[in-house]
Amino acid sequence: MTTTLAGGRAARRQTMRRIRPRRSPATVLLLVVWAGAVGVLWLWWHNTPSIADQNGKILNAGRITGLLAGYLMALVVLQMARVPALERRVGSDRVARWHAMSGRYTLCLVLAHIFLIMWGYALQAGKSLGDIVQQTIDSINQLPDMGKAAIGAGLFVLIGLTSIGPVRRRIPYDTWYHVHLLTYAAVFLTFWHQITTGNDFAVEPAAKTFWYVLYGSVTALVVWYRILVPIRLNMRHRMRVEAVIEETPGIVSVLIGGRKLHRMGAQAGQFFRWRFLAPGMRFSSHPYSLSAAPRPDMLRITVKAIGDHSARLRELTPGTRVWAEGPYGAMTAQRRSRGKVLLVAGGVGITPMRALFETLPGAAGDITLLYRANTTQDLALWDELAAIADDRGARLMYAVNSPDGERPDISVERLRQKLPDIEKHDVFMCGPAGFAQTVFEALRGAGVPARRIHHESFEM
Amino acid sequence: MHSLKKNRPLRRIVLASAATVSGMVLLLSLKPHSAPTVAVAVPAPSGSSSAGPATGTKTVTGDTVQTRWGPVQVRITLKSGKLTEVTAVTYPQDNPRDQEINSFALPRLRSEALQAQSADIDTVSGATYTSDGYRQSLQSALDSASS
Repeated sequence: MTTTLAGGRAARRQTMRRIRPRRSPATVLLLVVWAGAVGVLWLWWHNTPSIADQNGKILNAGRITGLLAGYLMALVVLQMARVPALERRVGSDRVARWHAMSGRYTLCLVLAHIFLIMWGYALQAGKSLGDIVQQTIDSINQLPDMGKAAIGAGLFVLIGLTSIGPVRRRIPYDTWYHVHLLTYAAVFLTFWHQITTGNDFAVEPAAKTFWYVLYGSVTALVVWYRILVPIRLNMRHRMRVEAVIEETPGIVSVLIGGRKLHRMGAQAGQFFRWRFLAPGMRFSSHPYSLSAAPRPDMLRITVKAIGDHSARLRELTPGTRVWAEGPYGAMTAQRRSRGKVLLVAGGVGITPMRALFETLPGAAGDITLLYRANTTQDLALWDELAAIADDRGARLMYAVNSPDGERPDISVERLRQKLPDIEKHDVFMCGPAGFAQTVFEALRGAGVPARRIHHESFEM
Repeated sequence: MHSLKKNRPLRRIVLASAATVSGMVLLLSLKPHSAPTVAVAVPAPSGSSSAGPATGTKTVTGDTVQTRWGPVQVRITLKSGKLTEVTAVTYPQDNPRDQEINSFALPRLRSEALQAQSADIDTVSGATYTSDGYRQSLQSALDSASS
């Protein structure tokens, strides 16, 4: 059993590839989304000849918020469908932030929609704002599909509550995740009242068709990419734990064997969502980056034992079945624009950087890795990194605390001193939030444009 | 946006709400305030026309007007040329919401018509299409009653 995965032939071939930057499709996608929103507003405009009075305004505001919420709801689900174009080209982290942002916004629209419509109906019936609760109960009882919609709205509120920062931090990840899965039920329940009671769908068959197509295609994508594709991947590759290796105190590598693993299309810098079929671990999956370029028979992840789940990785026994979903993540060689690259790793953030360090195309001297850790003992994978640096003529630097515990100085001057042409570099970065923020500001100060600083962060 | 640029959630929330609310207010205020009234010459319903053939009680049914929600048709009763009753014969009642709307819109349209003694009546909010159909059917009934 080899403990080091450096020096594979496949990896060396990759270093000699041509640099092919690919742009993220984010801008185009956002334009399409905005165009869709304009289309939805146009639908309302087209179907509303006039607004009679104040009450009409309230009702129409309710219709607009309802239409927009119905449109965005489909997109919020789409963002979590694990569509490769989003996960690998835009980046899983960015899409997750879009999802959180648009989810919150959509929930606000839903609440505004309920309030405005019920207020409008109450006024119409000659009642006042105070009767809004009674009006809501009446509408739920009388109108088609409103009972379902009410349950769905209740679920949305519950999902929203469990996702508020302080609440989410207090409840276990698994609980939050399973509550979040109720979104599918809530979307299904609220869909029908849109069709049966929505003005615009009743009078405009084309609008109704569009709505069915929108929700139908999102459903198809979710079923395909979240269920069928992972099943196919795991049937084909049949992954198992090969070995667990302690790299430094608190950091372990898990070697995962399987069939034709190079066919999974994983690139250095990407991650999988891993589920280990061992007692107590099978019900949650966690994202861990590959810490070496994938080999046909072997993948490796390197994890710091901080959470419940990661601490248990240490006790995995060889032969344990592994269920993986991926590859995901856009922090790959395609992100760089050209020329030289600086990789910055903070602590266990070394994992994707280690894989990129080995495989990024570049001549001798083009690639530099800066590795930050508390002490030299905490520099996991150091021997491998040194071997790679030797092999391809790359530069390897580390920054650790001084013996009296003082943090190393990462400033504009220090960066310029180490890399005089730093502004000509693309920077890939992975590490704790505070560290990444400090480095980001120093890099910006040294003249590196933000679009050439590539960083993945899963903090919302 | 770059993941490491300072994001100010509060500012984003304020901006998003302000943009949504002002966009909505703008859209709502750009819509005309009442239904474009059907351009028909109202036959001056002057009380003096009782000298015509319309003496005694007369019942006339108006045209059936197709609206987006379904057909609307009214029947009127004239006594000595005076509009004394308007009944909606046909109106949309496919779903509970229609019924709910009609239960408050139709009585209001009726009383407006009786008061105005013509089809020159206001749209009832929330029942735009029904009001339109009601007005047109009423106009046609008045037209054929006076001819």
